Amino acid sequence: MTDPVKSVPIPGGLPHEHGAVGQSVTRYGGVDRVSGGQRFLADLSFPGAAQVALVTIPLGCADILGIDTSLAARLPGVLAVVTAEDLPQPVPRFGVSHQDRPVLATGRVNYHGEPVAAVVAETLDAAQAAVRAVRVDYRELPGVYTLDEALAPGAHLVQDQSIRPDDPKRDSNVLKDAHYAWGDLAAAQQRTEAVVEHVYTFPMVTHFPIEPGGTVVVPTDEGGLDVYSPVQHPYLLQRTVASLLQLPLNKVRVFAPDPGGGFGGKQNPKYEPLMSFLAQRTRRTCRLVLSLEETFQAMRRAGCRIKARTGFTRQGEITFHELDADYLIGAYADVAPRVMAKGSYVGGGPYRIPAVRITARAVLSNTTPSTAFRGFGSPQMAWGTESQLDAGARVLGLDGLQVRRRNLVARGEAFIRGDHQATADGDWAQSLEKAAELVGWHEPLKPNRGRGIAVGIKPGATSGLSQSLVRLLYDGSAIVYAGTSDMGQGARTLWQQIVADELGTPVDQVNVVSGDTGAVPFDLQTSASRSTVFMGTAVIEACADIRRRILDLYAETTGVPAGELDERPGVLVTADREMPLVEAAREALGPLRGEFIGQGVSRLRGRSGHPLGGDAAFYEFNCTAIEVEVDPETGELLLTRHVSVGDVGRELNPIQVVSQDEGASIMGLGHSQMEQVLVDEHGRIRNLGALDYRIPTFKDVPVELVTAAVENHDGPGPYGSKGISEGALLCTAGALGAAVAQATGVVVRDLPLTPERVWSAIRAANADRSAAPRPE
Amino acid sequence: MRYHRPTSKADALAVLAAEGDRARPLVGGTDLLVGLRHSTIAPTWIVDLKGITDLPEPITLTEDGIRIGPTMTLGELVAHLDVRRSFPALSEAALTVGSVAIRNRASLVGNLCNASPAADTVPALLVLGAVVTIESVDGARTVSLADFFLGPRRTQCHASALVTRIDLPWPPAGTGSAFQRLTRRRGVDLGTVSVAAAVSSDGRMSLGLGAVGPKPLMAEVAEPVDLTDEPQLERVLDQLLNVAAPITDVRASREYREAMLRVLGKRAVLAAAGRRTRMEAA
Amino acid sequence: MSPAQADEDPLTTTSTVTVNGTARIVTAPAHRSLLEGLRDILGLTGTKSCCAEGECGACTVLLDGKAVNSCLVLCVESDGHEVTTIEGLSECGPTDLQEEFLNAGAVQCGFCIPGQVMSAEYLLRTNPAPSEPEIREALSGNLCRCGGYARIVAAVKETAARRAGDHD
Repeated sequence: MTDPVKSVPIPGGLPHEHGAVGQSVTRYGGVDRVSGGQRFLADLSFPGAAQVALVTIPLGCADILGIDTSLAARLPGVLAVVTAEDLPQPVPRFGVSHQDRPVLATGRVNYHGEPVAAVVAETLDAAQAAVRAVRVDYRELPGVYTLDEALAPGAHLVQDQSIRPDDPKRDSNVLKDAHYAWGDLAAAQQRTEAVVEHVYTFPMVTHFPIEPGGTVVVPTDEGGLDVYSPVQHPYLLQRTVASLLQLPLNKVRVFAPDPGGGFGGKQNPKYEPLMSFLAQRTRRTCRLVLSLEETFQAMRRAGCRIKARTGFTRQGEITFHELDADYLIGAYADVAPRVMAKGSYVGGGPYRIPAVRITARAVLSNTTPSTAFRGFGSPQMAWGTESQLDAGARVLGLDGLQVRRRNLVARGEAFIRGDHQATADGDWAQSLEKAAELVGWHEPLKPNRGRGIAVGIKPGATSGLSQSLVRLLYDGSAIVYAGTSDMGQGARTLWQQIVADELGTPVDQVNVVSGDTGAVPFDLQTSASRSTVFMGTAVIEACADIRRRILDLYAETTGVPAGELDERPGVLVTADREMPLVEAAREALGPLRGEFIGQGVSRLRGRSGHPLGGDAAFYEFNCTAIEVEVDPETGELLLTRHVSVGDVGRELNPIQVVSQDEGASIMGLGHSQMEQVLVDEHGRIRNLGALDYRIPTFKDVPVELVTAAVENHDGPGPYGSKGISEGALLCTAGALGAAVAQATGVVVRDLPLTPERVWSAIRAANADRSAAPRPE
Repeated sequence: MRYHRPTSKADALAVLAAEGDRARPLVGGTDLLVGLRHSTIAPTWIVDLKGITDLPEPITLTEDGIRIGPTMTLGELVAHLDVRRSFPALSEAALTVGSVAIRNRASLVGNLCNASPAADTVPALLVLGAVVTIESVDGARTVSLADFFLGPRRTQCHASALVTRIDLPWPPAGTGSAFQRLTRRRGVDLGTVSVAAAVSSDGRMSLGLGAVGPKPLMAEVAEPVDLTDEPQLERVLDQLLNVAAPITDVRASREYREAMLRVLGKRAVLAAAGRRTRMEAA
Repeated sequence: MSPAQADEDPLTTTSTVTVNGTARIVTAPAHRSLLEGLRDILGLTGTKSCCAEGECGACTVLLDGKAVNSCLVLCVESDGHEVTTIEGLSECGPTDLQEEFLNAGAVQCGFCIPGQVMSAEYLLRTNPAPSEPEIREALSGNLCRCGGYARIVAAVKETAARRAGDHD
């Protein structure tokens, strides 16, 4: 058992010079993915499955007065029309942080798209016809769709107080708050020579996985359920379904086909509990494949408003930083309170600040439940804090690079102080300098162009458990059992590489089994860029276990005293030579053949009393620098250069690191430039679907997109690695905002920086200038 | 829903006459199938025109101009060198419709008949003087494109009729045309505002405007404009853009549309003017 | 009334489509899309469904050699035509283009990739030496939420170079 943070030396030791680790090994399952052979959920065949369709109403908040299913139930092919009344009473609720989400809306619809009934039918056509035939009688309520509405005195309460009877805040829409504070604010203010105070907003955005997703539940002959869902956390889903349906864990088997894009949106259960009840009730295989619109209504990132007040000395040192952040979460908690707590914990940024006051709240609203989304709560806070640094720099006549150089913490230095301090686990200035160099920070700018640089930080997992089994077969090939979901990050490729180096097996003779709770050992979750560190360590452990077993059996089989043998990655060392491990294994196994089975566990226990439940296993640190050209007449942006530099510890697979960094960069441009979920006064999503919810396309990619990695082999993961999948979107917005500000002389504090928003800001500034001309 | 693939125009028109607004003609389907999916239309008959043998060819060059049939796709239009040469505004506009895959199916006639106020090709066709032929069992008639649109999703081509051709006259010698469009992102998008301009050798000009009214709009000035006279050009643009009545919607505000109309209008005029043949400059 | 109409049920259509070189008979309700026909009736699930309104490109196939969104084509419209899907392209193992997708690190979750490959193949067949702007334009109807765009552009360039070399 290894604690990935405390382990010394680092798991796997130093990188192997000629090993598979560190090479751009082609991704596992790649051929299937390019040839259409990859089976996603909707591609799986379930002969005779019943099809499920969901009934919703076109409002964000309404009392359900009655549901008439009689007509729908009589339609040909309809097997069942289920409402909350047909479920166990009280209607079971579930959730990650709060058990607040009902399996089906009961009495009230709390967000646009919340299902009020489900139809099970022989065909999808029949199911959809029945959905149209269900009559829902409802009365609109004065729902709350914005922060101001949700926080207004006397606001409609999104959640009935009975759902959180012991919560002192149950009579408000504040679900949870967080407070972080250190330092002597008064003293810091004394030293302050410039103060900037602004309000920033970050939009609600949706994950928009290209695979909309869905769920299939098969009732088994033994009274259990096989649940197929492309989830990031199969074991959490197993636990949730088992608990709601009161089944033992071994009766709920979750198959998790690779998610076709997760980004955090496919972590937590959504319709799987409903589907499980439907399958149990109808004794039929029940299949639900979501439309993209339904997916939009099932997942999103919390919007955020950040009020910030920051003090500086004349030299640009930050003296104090006050943040007041409200996260607009949805109607149910999901994991949103933790998004708020974790994001605001690092809200002050990776800076040396003597006095900090951070207050953050997770505010319920009648909107899509917000959940994890790449970067968790960090991009929101970074937008505010990074923009404040540039605001201070502008006042002081510094540039974005100078002000960050002056304040960035050095390795080992605390950037969060107080009872639960956090220190820099990397040489982060290297990333800053590298990004500045790559963007050409000091080169002259063409007209209408500007550059911005920003840094971002996100705490990795604060607790974790990954278990792995590795089987080394007689012929030297190997099978890894690792519960990490491979949603595009390429985790399985890393397990191949690790096993190849640790056991001396060729990469292409290692296969990986995942996505089946019935066959693969427990893994807590695939989130927070944890898998390389946690599961990677467990796989290394399993390989070390195999090597020890080979050594022991070799001694027993050959009669060579175990004390005269040693093992190292890939080899068994005897008195006279180094044997390839697979050869030693064969000799040890002898004529009966058989195999070696190794077990590895990586566990990080939390720390009680810590606001996040524990210290982060590592921090993802990124520096992004952007050069932009602004069309001053239309407000359109052309990104001429976009640089992202991550502090990765060690690249285990360089091409996969590039893919992750480029992908996160572009996703960051999405929320920075164009993405926003728009909600009308009835709580309906106005841009529900691919036509009016815009994400970046090929033509929106910066003219030059450059990524680079800083490698100091200083991470807690295998061979000194760290998690890397989120860094490149943490501070995209800050870098872009600063670049636009330099190009136009106008600061925009609301995301996304759409052409219209940039144009409006330019126009307002021009109007101000002509109304009251005054020198800067 | 029933599907019918007639082989003659008469057969198609007969079905349309019998079924009225229960029937929908189909060429590319790129708007039709989206409408079916969202149940904004629910026809009981789909009449696929692609099997008809006696409709005008996709494109024919004549002495007077070009004639475009109902099956001409936007992809073919974009690739057509004569169109690119003589009707650059139309080429540019067609290139902004959807993606390559959309343009491989979508037809120019369909883009007109769908009658979206934001249809990209329409402003260009307006300034290029397009005339459409509408046929039904009662016979054929022609209308200028400027008169074709009645309102959002409404045209002079009623449910029992078909647009069987679009005629574009060769532009008078020395005329230039150009198309400008603003979108929320650089890749495939619906237009927030679009403007096509045609400028004649002596400086007379017309503008076609998209997404700034209940239907595509056109405005023209009969008097030559001195393009080097900035104040005069601004005055003329004021006058031309006066027809626009943009609204606020999910894509943009009225204010932004108004301002962008101005910016794009000027850019389109100057680009069109810059394309006038050297004859004019000499 | 129509050659493609089934005798018994006027709402059902029967089409003869050449799919990946083989004539197939597809019986489907008239409102079914080609995408649904391929996936649900012929079991060719390599073609993916996402937005179902022509905005994402995940369902791209070649219809008579041209890239189209199969979600915006009625199944019955393909009667008498040729359809090539990702399975057809990959019949003899990964093509040079598919190999370059893998080499370039263009494949992350993989869901959009069949559509990307089809659009890129169509581009290279119609424009064997595309410039970067041409590649971006040709593929801008194919969304990739993993953001593999720059990698995909690299893969297309590499394939074009490889094919140019092969022809020397």
